[in-house]
Amino acid sequence: MPSRILMNNAFLHFLTLLLFKQKGKHIGAVLISVIIIFLLSSVLFISSSLQNTLLGTLENQSDFTLSRVQAGKAINTPSDWLDKVLEINGISKVAPRVYGRYFFTPREKSFLVVGVDLFDEQSSKELQSLVKGLDLKSFLSTDSMLVGEGVKAFLSEHYYKDSFSFKTPQGSFKKVKIQQTLPSQTNLIANDMIIMSIDLAREVFGLGEDEVTDITFNVPNDAEWDNIIGKLHLLFYDVRVVEKREIRKAYENLYNYKGGLFLILYLVAMVTFMLILYQRYSMVYSTERKEIGILRAVGWSIKDILKLKFYETAVVVLVSFVLGVALAYLYVFIWDAPLLSQIFLGGANLPNQVEFVPVLEFGLLGSIFLFYAIPFLAAVLIPAWKIAVTPPKEAML
Amino acid sequence: MIKEFTILVSMVLLLAGFVLVHYVTHNGISSKEMLSSVTKVTKLSSPTLSVAYYEPRVLSYEEVLNPAYPQMQTMNKMDLVYAK
Repeated sequence: MPSRILMNNAFLHFLTLLLFKQKGKHIGAVLISVIIIFLLSSVLFISSSLQNTLLGTLENQSDFTLSRVQAGKAINTPSDWLDKVLEINGISKVAPRVYGRYFFTPREKSFLVVGVDLFDEQSSKELQSLVKGLDLKSFLSTDSMLVGEGVKAFLSEHYYKDSFSFKTPQGSFKKVKIQQTLPSQTNLIANDMIIMSIDLAREVFGLGEDEVTDITFNVPNDAEWDNIIGKLHLLFYDVRVVEKREIRKAYENLYNYKGGLFLILYLVAMVTFMLILYQRYSMVYSTERKEIGILRAVGWSIKDILKLKFYETAVVVLVSFVLGVALAYLYVFIWDAPLLSQIFLGGANLPNQVEFVPVLEFGLLGSIFLFYAIPFLAAVLIPAWKIAVTPPKEAML
Repeated sequence: MIKEFTILVSMVLLLAGFVLVHYVTHNGISSKEMLSSVTKVTKLSSPTLSVAYYEPRVLSYEEVLNPAYPQMQTMNKMDLVYAK
């Protein structure tokens, strides 16, 4: 019954007739609106998806990282620090990390080589659950590595199908077998990553047996965090301690749209668009003025005319918004945002095809809608009201 | 309401419905679990920034220095896009 009332409503019939009769007038506004909303929504979808995913993975990282510094630069950390750190009360899960970037000089590309202690039960279990069918025995018996998708594609392009020869700082070559590729779902973190045993990584980077890149540890009691940092600075003088909460802050800022250029660009684009709209509607448009004049002459009140213009604009706004947001969703979460993802993750090293996990922040979408709809409505209704308040005879002149 | 308008509204609603259905039914947990596994194994959670050799790859652990002016605050292209 209500749908029948809607179908037979004279006002609605006139409104929809008007919309389609003057479709040439609306198509331009809809197209520009869809492009602006599509771009803004795409950027926000990518940033919120990346932020959400990275903050989730950060939960599994250690609370603190300790590294030795010399002249303000991080240098290799002595592995005997591990025992000294372990002696401090309140510290748990102390582990060494060996990682670094390996430069493939001929093409000026780099890989992130990470050494993993495969004799650690938890690490080996995680690795086996991550890479299906990984034979840990054969992995450990030969010099082998697991590579990210980006590394695999790059090495295959350069005819390193089964193995790759690393050039060590001593000038010798170390041939390492490519055991398996990491799943594509891990590209966000591991696209340029090479995982190998910790001893092999030491050999590739020329690290001594008593050296590690840095040391990670946990402090389960949050209230002890500042105290522990103080103790570490008393124990070692040439040390830098990085807290997880610092990294969390860095990630929050990293993809925060407020800090980026995108919001400024969006504001510039929106203001320009609204100015164009206002200019267009406030110009002495004979057809527009005549139309309002005729409606006034046949007995329409100012309120009726504003109501008509309001609904007409509301339809344009709603259709553009839904189209813009939906297209942005398809572009980011189904087609994985080609081109735009490079702005977020860079494109100077290995190409990366990241699968974005869908995250919709409805509050944010509501804000975009308000920031877009209110200026749009104002840009149309104010000039329409100006014409409507003039006498019909003058308006039709 | 005229027929064309009804068709337009139906198409827009269909598109919005498709997006909502995809959002509700998409299983993002497996991807997140895999990423967590990588972090557990490597103890690194930094995103793969495809950066040039002189730019930092592992966030918060690597910093770039201008060799000519080591005390000058450095800026790379990622800083230009994001806040620091």
